[in-house]
Amino acid sequence: MTSAEIFDRGYRRFEGTRGGRGSAMRSVVWYTTKSILGLGRKARHKVFPVIVAVIAFLPAIIFLGMAILIGDLLEGELRPEYWELFGFSFMAFLVFTTMVAPEAIVRDRRDGMLPLYLSTPLTKVTYLISKGTAVIATMMIIVLGPSLLALVGFTVQGMGPDGFGTWIETLAKLVLAAFTIVVVLGAVALGAASLTDRRAFASVAVVMVLLGLSFFVEVMVNGVDAPETLRLIDPLNLPFEVAPRLFDAKSEPFVEVSTSLVLLGNLGWVVAGVGTLAASYRRLGAV
Amino acid sequence: MAVISTTGLTMQFGSQRALDSLDVEVPHGVTGLVGANGAGKTTLMSIALGLRSPTSGSITVLGLDPHRDAAKLRSLVGYGPERNLMPEDMPASDFVKHLAEVRGMPRSEAKGRASDALWLVGLGEERFRALGTMSTGQRQRVKLAQAIAADPSLVLLDEPTDGLDPVQRDEMLSLIKQISAEYDIDVMLSSHLLEEVERVCDHIVALDAGTVVAQGPLDELVGDTEVVVVELVQIDDLPDSVAAVVVRLEHAGLDVDRRGDELRVTGVERGATLNTIRDSIAAEQARLRRVQIGRRTLEDLFTAVES
Repeated sequence: MTSAEIFDRGYRRFEGTRGGRGSAMRSVVWYTTKSILGLGRKARHKVFPVIVAVIAFLPAIIFLGMAILIGDLLEGELRPEYWELFGFSFMAFLVFTTMVAPEAIVRDRRDGMLPLYLSTPLTKVTYLISKGTAVIATMMIIVLGPSLLALVGFTVQGMGPDGFGTWIETLAKLVLAAFTIVVVLGAVALGAASLTDRRAFASVAVVMVLLGLSFFVEVMVNGVDAPETLRLIDPLNLPFEVAPRLFDAKSEPFVEVSTSLVLLGNLGWVVAGVGTLAASYRRLGAV
Repeated sequence: MAVISTTGLTMQFGSQRALDSLDVEVPHGVTGLVGANGAGKTTLMSIALGLRSPTSGSITVLGLDPHRDAAKLRSLVGYGPERNLMPEDMPASDFVKHLAEVRGMPRSEAKGRASDALWLVGLGEERFRALGTMSTGQRQRVKLAQAIAADPSLVLLDEPTDGLDPVQRDEMLSLIKQISAEYDIDVMLSSHLLEEVERVCDHIVALDAGTVVAQGPLDELVGDTEVVVVELVQIDDLPDSVAAVVVRLEHAGLDVDRRGDELRVTGVERGATLNTIRDSIAAEQARLRRVQIGRRTLEDLFTAVES
């Protein structure tokens, strides 16, 4: 008599409970986030996100280092406001945005994943919501991360906001400001990237929309004295203006633009980006 | 209950009618959806998956409405698209696992099922290889593995042997037959290669320009006929022997269609017909090259429709 058993581990029927659209969306969000960050992929796919992260976090790390080394000398004069850190990492955000949106959606069209996804419980809408969620989640790491690091770091050094209530309020404002930047840039980038099936072209399209319009606005406002409100069609700088407004400040270029117009302008860009994205995918054949 | 059932299914793209009042019943087993490119095969599949809405008519798949019950239906249906594109740098196991999760498998279950499905299609040892390094045959197998990994009730395969050499095609067809026979998974495969459909399918739905030209069990649509093909050899010593054989056969009440030295003889009962042919040839001392029982193929079916 023996207690040994041979298990049949071959292909077999599934008797358990299947997940629905929610589980499908979670899987796509996780897979896309990993893909953007290069996790589970070859080393060369990790290089770009790591470089961008280093550039994005560098200003916060420098200011924190100075605070640790010099301490009180920084107080007031040299230490930036938390919201100003968004501006210091501006180029890192731009570069990351041009990479994230094409990686999130164009790759599926090129690799044949889109028809496979659409043959599952996912619909075009739930697929795009999953992709948008992954884009927002990864961009939040890069956009919110540095100011969050600074907030925690300065607090540890005893230079943080006074009182727990103020600390939470500062944190909430930073999260909201970062979320606005991410949603606006993400929506515009996804909209622009959805216009092509080539990743390189998609990145160029994102740069053209963001930098092109920003350059145009600068020339018009500073060159031919166009009204300051023209800055509302600048999708690159407009979302960054929400941060100072949350902290009762205004940045120099937007001094003459009211807060309600800034918010409306950002909303407009989100609608434009999402609308372009939706229109592009409505045109795409399913199978 | 039919696996797929359509009534008056019509799909119009602008001025082009892709499907025209289709009444189709797809039973359990392996069903071949055959027709030339542009016949409407992929359109029918995409409607069955709920990815397109028909212009008119109705369709049920596994008893469900593809639009109203889309999420539930698509978690029960595996799909292998025609295009051979896949994420190049992704290991096969990750690809199959991810799609199993998206089709509703719990994460804890998906990994094991992906591995089992890849073993089943013969890629167990290759499952950690990147898809971009795999051959066309291996990629077709991966497509089949991802279609069955989430334990579907029905698998729709669009041209599953596209790009395969004859040996790979044989293996793929055997796999398709196996997953239906051993695991009770219904399969509908589309193909424009009639010969391969005849080899693997139990049932046929034949489309031509968006209309059904034939449907039913394979053995009723193709197979032996009452026609006997007789090929004689014309020799100089007996120049009229072929004609004499034809006269004898016709006197015996058989219908003879002469095409040169080849006679297509039709009688009421095949055994009696063969006896009469044998006796006629012996009596006229004609020289026989071959006798063959006539066989109707899917190709004949399409030829008949076109003519």
